[in-house]
Amino acid sequence: MRFLNGLGRFVGLGAFALAASLFLTATGAHATGISTPGQMGFQPAATPVMEDIESLHHYLLILITAIVLFVTVLLAYVMIRFNRKSNPIPSKTSHHTWLEVAWTVVPIMILVVIVVPSFRLLYKELVIPTPEMTIKATGNQWYWGYEYPDNGDISFDSNMVPEADLNGRPRLLATDEVVVVPIDTTVRVIVTGADVIHAWAVPAFGVKIDAVPGRLNETWFKATKAGIYYGQCSELCGQAHAFMPIEVHVVSKEEFAAWVADKTKAASLTNDNVKLALATDSAR
Amino acid sequence: MAGTAAAHSDHHEDHPTGWRRYLYSTNHKDIGTMYLIYAIISGIIGGALSVAIRMELQNPGDQIFGGNHDLYNVFVTGHALIMIFFMVMPAMIGGFGNWFVPLMIGAPDMAFPRMNNISFWLLPPAIGLLIISMFVPGSPGGHGASGGWTIYPPLSTSGSPGPAMDYAILALHLAGASSILGAINFITTIFNMRAPGMTLHKMPLFVWSILVTVFLLLLSLPVLAGAITMLLTDRNFGTTFFAPEGGGDPILFQHLFWFFGHPEVYILILPGFGIISQIISTFSRKPVFGYLGMAYAMVAIGVVGFVVWAHHMYTVGMSVNTQAYFLAATMVIAVPTGVKIFSWIATMWGGSIEFKTPMVWAIGFIFLFTIGGVTGVVLANAGVDRSLHDTYYVVAHFHYVLSLGAVFAIFAGWYYWFPKMFGYMYSDFIGKLHFWITFVGVNLIFFPQHFLGLAGMPRRYVDYPDAYHLWNEISSYGSYISAFGVLVFLYGVVQALIRKEKAADNPWGEGATTLEWTLSSPPPFHQFADLPRIK
Amino acid sequence: MKNPAFTIRWDMLPSVLLSLAIVSLMTAAVAYSPTLYKMFCEATGYGGAVSVARSLDTSKETSGVGPEIEVRFDTNVSSDLNWEFQPEQRTIKTHIGLPTTVYFTAKNLEDKEITARATYNVTPDVMGYYFSKVQCFCFTEEKLAPGETARMPVVFFVDPEMLTDVESKSIRSVTLSYSFFRQADEKTAAARPLREGSEQQVEDFKTAKEAVFEPIEQMR
Repeated sequence: MRFLNGLGRFVGLGAFALAASLFLTATGAHATGISTPGQMGFQPAATPVMEDIESLHHYLLILITAIVLFVTVLLAYVMIRFNRKSNPIPSKTSHHTWLEVAWTVVPIMILVVIVVPSFRLLYKELVIPTPEMTIKATGNQWYWGYEYPDNGDISFDSNMVPEADLNGRPRLLATDEVVVVPIDTTVRVIVTGADVIHAWAVPAFGVKIDAVPGRLNETWFKATKAGIYYGQCSELCGQAHAFMPIEVHVVSKEEFAAWVADKTKAASLTNDNVKLALATDSAR
Repeated sequence: MAGTAAAHSDHHEDHPTGWRRYLYSTNHKDIGTMYLIYAIISGIIGGALSVAIRMELQNPGDQIFGGNHDLYNVFVTGHALIMIFFMVMPAMIGGFGNWFVPLMIGAPDMAFPRMNNISFWLLPPAIGLLIISMFVPGSPGGHGASGGWTIYPPLSTSGSPGPAMDYAILALHLAGASSILGAINFITTIFNMRAPGMTLHKMPLFVWSILVTVFLLLLSLPVLAGAITMLLTDRNFGTTFFAPEGGGDPILFQHLFWFFGHPEVYILILPGFGIISQIISTFSRKPVFGYLGMAYAMVAIGVVGFVVWAHHMYTVGMSVNTQAYFLAATMVIAVPTGVKIFSWIATMWGGSIEFKTPMVWAIGFIFLFTIGGVTGVVLANAGVDRSLHDTYYVVAHFHYVLSLGAVFAIFAGWYYWFPKMFGYMYSDFIGKLHFWITFVGVNLIFFPQHFLGLAGMPRRYVDYPDAYHLWNEISSYGSYISAFGVLVFLYGVVQALIRKEKAADNPWGEGATTLEWTLSSPPPFHQFADLPRIK
Repeated sequence: MKNPAFTIRWDMLPSVLLSLAIVSLMTAAVAYSPTLYKMFCEATGYGGAVSVARSLDTSKETSGVGPEIEVRFDTNVSSDLNWEFQPEQRTIKTHIGLPTTVYFTAKNLEDKEITARATYNVTPDVMGYYFSKVQCFCFTEEKLAPGETARMPVVFFVDPEMLTDVESKSIRSVTLSYSFFRQADEKTAAARPLREGSEQQVEDFKTAKEAVFEPIEQMR
């Protein structure tokens, strides 16, 4: 009985925690994609895909909480009702065909109920709508390289900002060069690895895709809320695996155009410098 | 005749004494004991590594690893490999399997006692190689194999040029060879050495669980052995099986690894299912409910376990239909697992339950395994797994089924069979104290990790953004509590061995119906010289 | 009394043979797995593996020029290979079922002869099965002299069969990606000179073009 009390208390706590996490994620209203201290659920969704991931997960969470509660109640009941004191003479029942059929068929039905929305989500994630622009991310030990093949060959490397230079930006998440994308635009991300396998992930977008050397992978997102979104490398890639974050700024289309113009101008300037250097080289 | 044989067996020539008794041992009980001691020692090493990991993660920023991030990865890798190959497998299959499969089927010993000896003695060099690997150069500038237990190339090939990875691979080869020999031994024992009347459908469920497990071993371990051999030749002899620069594909390794790796997790848990079935039945004083369903649920789990491997690879870039298939196939596993959970509860239903230490551990197992199981259903959904893959949610899930599932089953088995194996009774109070400390500790470690995973914290991270501090700190406290639980466990063992309170032949009463309880505690050196007959 | 388990029991043979058979079978399977995997990828386009040897089936009604499709080109050079490698166009518009020629250029920036080898795949990966290359420079060792530039042709078509597959029928944008990896210097002797080889390829299908591609050229 004492055993039961303790167990019951723990179960209560667990169920409370699960319910709390459900509540917190449902009401979270932060503008940007970064975790908050003590967070118990997903980061707020910034893309339609992530919204669907959240809702499927909530649905699953309710289902699994109910299953765990059901099993716990059954366990608690048998422990009270059928312990040595309350039931000194055990029954000899060891078969009950209909019961056995029921606990095979009912879980199958529950699974069918899960599988249908799950397939829908899977197809939504993986059947890529016609993209309006493309970004290429290349995983390197230990930074991300980016290219914008549709926007005048912008390319840059994105390194983590060291702790001394943060100026209030989040530790381990801020990068020196950031990925900028326009809002409400279907962005295709093509990803590859330069040395070992990395994974490009932005939790608020519901995006995670491995960057495999010698192979191009493709995913997409369509951010519907402007803001700053953070992600981290999600495949073990060596000693600085924890130190190659991803920072994405979702901005208005005008701001994006301005950023592109800025970047291409900067790029052509450096190109001119290179050409100049080459010219002087050959002149010499 | 049987009586004289038992009386004389202690002085016989195939019963050497001193160190020879163990080094040359061909006795399944001695070998089983050695496996258990081995597992306890490995468990302490692996547990120490995990406490170091949690100390590093207790607070953000560099903690005890002092900025040596590669060493942290070495600890993570070492913890996983030691716990899987050198703790859970030796304890369940080598330890309890060796001890109780022959006893439960009424056999005098294992089919191949000398091979049994080799199986065990391959393991100390194996863990030796793994420990050596932690002290030789691995990835550039670091020591030890740091590629995670999954050792994905190219990180484990071009990304880890030092010999540490080679040592780790050879350690796995030895452990694999040991398990394959053990598996052949168990299959032959179970098929050929059952006592008259002990049909397959009368075998105790623990024997069934070992039978399914060893078939999984035979089918999956050669795949691991082949994959890591190719890794070895890629590293040392210029082949390019997994190297894109030579036309190979690193993804092939992942397929091979998980074709082994997924059955492997069932190898870790299935014997636990068997142990729990015996204990629940014993302490409820009822036969197992739905015996055939229970046995074939394990067979089903084993079979389906071979066709779900790519659910570990949802983010690797697979087509929609492939992912949809693996999603559906993975879900199917929930059905036989559910059958087992409900059958255990039905076994208790109508019973006369006595809350002795093993039963308390077994009930804890059912509860925690249920939690680990349902988070597995969440992860099976490829769509949701996109967000959870390689986060702490996965870490929480597999520790609920392994650390809190398999390990709880091992402790349940230990307390269940301790009087039989050593002939002494332990303190029921210390056993329960050990349970409660461990139960609180492990839940504190792993329940908050669900939150970390949902919030997006990736696994195998030596340092994390400050927002993840709270749950990491709580998780670390849980780890210290669990570590204290291990000390209580060791104290209980030592106390029982010193107290020398004689255990009865059957300390658990009328519910304990399997053959091992018909023998003395501890059993004679050779048992069943006259084979028992099962009605 | 001897331990009864020490006597040889021939009735155990079937169990042992069964175990050994399983182990041998699985060992053989894993030993052949790289070959089987490659065959599987090529047969199904799994993982975006491109089919190389397929020919356009002009007899079927579905063949011929289909809807417009965008084909993008992506290039990668491994960090230890000092080559410049670019497609001549990043993106082209072509039609499903229309054989199309594009060119890539590679330049050796180092002052010694370098051997490299390219791998490639297409995304979305379901398109691997329907993306056929008639000519390419991949999966063989290629070498470039110091400072040498090669212009490499790739002839491909998108099989109209993709329009009958629910997984691929709505896809109108495909990316073909190449990665060049440096090879050991010992391989240089046996490697194919990339520039001469590519020029030869261009010659080859100038003559072949008439025969194979004529009807489609007309339809254009």
